[in-house]
Amino acid sequence: MMSNNPYIPMPVTITKIINEVDTNDIKTFRLTFQNKEDEQKFKYLPGQFAELSIFGKGESPIGIASSPTEPGYVEFTVQKAGVIVPGLVTAALHDLEEGAEIGMRGPLGKSWPIEFLEKKNIVVVGGGFAFTTLRSLINYMLHKDNRKRFGEITVVYGARNPGLLLYKNELAAWEKRDDIKTNITVDKGNESWKGREGFVPNVCKEVAPSPKNTVAVICGPPIMIKFTLPVFYDLKFAKENILTSLEMRMKCGIGKCGRCNVGFKYVCSDGPVFSMAELEELPRDF
Amino acid sequence: MEKRLIKKDALVGIAKKMAEELTVWAPVKKEDNVLFTPLTKDAEPFFAYLNSKNAPKQVFFPHTETLMKYTRTPKGMVFSAEENKAGKTVLFGVRPCDAHSFVLLDMLFDQEKYKDQYYITKRNNTTVITLACAEPPYATCFCTSVDGEPVSADGADIVLTDIGSEYLAEFITPKGEKLAKYFGETKADAVAETKKKEIAEKAKKAIKSKIPAHEVKPILDNNFEHPFWATIHGKCLACGTCTYMCPTCHCFDISDEAKASDGVRIRSWDSCMFPLFTKETSGHNPRISQKERWRQRVMHKFKYYVDNFNAIACVGCGRCVMSCPVNIDIRKIIEDISKL
Repeated sequence: MMSNNPYIPMPVTITKIINEVDTNDIKTFRLTFQNKEDEQKFKYLPGQFAELSIFGKGESPIGIASSPTEPGYVEFTVQKAGVIVPGLVTAALHDLEEGAEIGMRGPLGKSWPIEFLEKKNIVVVGGGFAFTTLRSLINYMLHKDNRKRFGEITVVYGARNPGLLLYKNELAAWEKRDDIKTNITVDKGNESWKGREGFVPNVCKEVAPSPKNTVAVICGPPIMIKFTLPVFYDLKFAKENILTSLEMRMKCGIGKCGRCNVGFKYVCSDGPVFSMAELEELPRDF
Repeated sequence: MEKRLIKKDALVGIAKKMAEELTVWAPVKKEDNVLFTPLTKDAEPFFAYLNSKNAPKQVFFPHTETLMKYTRTPKGMVFSAEENKAGKTVLFGVRPCDAHSFVLLDMLFDQEKYKDQYYITKRNNTTVITLACAEPPYATCFCTSVDGEPVSADGADIVLTDIGSEYLAEFITPKGEKLAKYFGETKADAVAETKKKEIAEKAKKAIKSKIPAHEVKPILDNNFEHPFWATIHGKCLACGTCTYMCPTCHCFDISDEAKASDGVRIRSWDSCMFPLFTKETSGHNPRISQKERWRQRVMHKFKYYVDNFNAIACVGCGRCVMSCPVNIDIRKIIEDISKL
């Protein structure tokens, strides 16, 4: 019953932990497969997620932050969730050290629609912590075997302050490349911050990408989404060409346990990626 | 199709005979209730019942079920899926509405992409023997409004119909035929079949409670924000009895239980009526009050399931109507929606 049982996780080892932010509550975990067969079976694309298992605590659905172009491991950037009551799984995960063994179940959900994105210009807009599957997408597109499949790549990424930006080394590396336009911004800088200050929606307005043959991929906190969408509508982006990813409380991740639906769609198995055109058809139940 | 006649007083004996070799779940009297229970020496089957208090979905989808076990060893974590130990099982004397619920649950648990092995294994191992409702048991029965009938083979491997002096046993599927040896040798004649048809027609007409279950679908499609949704939940206690009793409710939770180096991952029935069902760790809850939870329950059964599987996720058993401590009646809700 082990084979093809979608509830059974595969054993993985934490081989690297990166503390991403000054507040110490967001870490990137690099997971390495213990069984070669599992690694071959785990075929994913940017935008998908997996259920991470801490035995004795439970499971948590987390977006995949690495790109399938990086073989040998899978990375997840996890926030220690919950302010008053800590999240059972994410808090336990944050207490683990390199070498610890956890479980991983997936890949789950629908990816960013890679075929749809091909031959188009891509504008990636991210805010704060919601940059993980966008990072996966950017690294996927920037890979030497893939770069020519996509048009211009523009990134607008913002955080509240410089210390809260994720993947700082990669951001710096992207800024040096000429095949990606990187616009990093913070709401408020500090003494050492030499970059841009300003909210993500305003930066999008300044960058003003043309809607022609272009898809915008937007993830961020609700407040950022709320003010960023009108910018893209004003730029005349069609709703089919604006993509986002939803979050809901999940358990099974395979469309059976019945809690993450928005209308008749399950965020876990019909999503989490949706276009604004698709979301418009669904009720406001998220 | 193989058809036989059995004497009315032979039914208990047949069930007990089967129970010597197989796991047999049958209606058993427990204090004031009739519950589906595995037959043992101390549990006598009781077929002169109206319907069971609990829906027999628990045979395939138990309240609590182990998904896997794990052990921490010096060499690392060892985990294994839980095997189904029940073996060949018979579900004896299920009412047609409950048998219909199995067909609906199959659509969810046995999908092409993700197969729920726990449900499917038990379902495949089980032969369903329906005991048709020659006389509809309750005034709250409304199976005929939701694609059911009081005498129906839907979801059944064998159908037993009380035709007066005897039971007519019809062996619907090859799985059912394998159990024919328990049912004696008396072949059914054309008279018995005619009699059964008459009884089925009469029983169908006897179902007086009707709801516009199909008619509300287009209304639900367009009225997610209708003020009507604020009118159902006022007296709801959020006890979850309706979902617990429901033969088609299948929402579940997954949690871990650990003791020292051993642990299990279990799934348990959950309910859309509970605030925690959708509450996220951040504190955000998309279904913030009982209003949204009631909308979800109605929508899931009469719209979302129809959208996804082209079937209404209600079998008209009336359990939620009878068991609700504050008399919320799904029949009235559907009736009211049809008039929006």
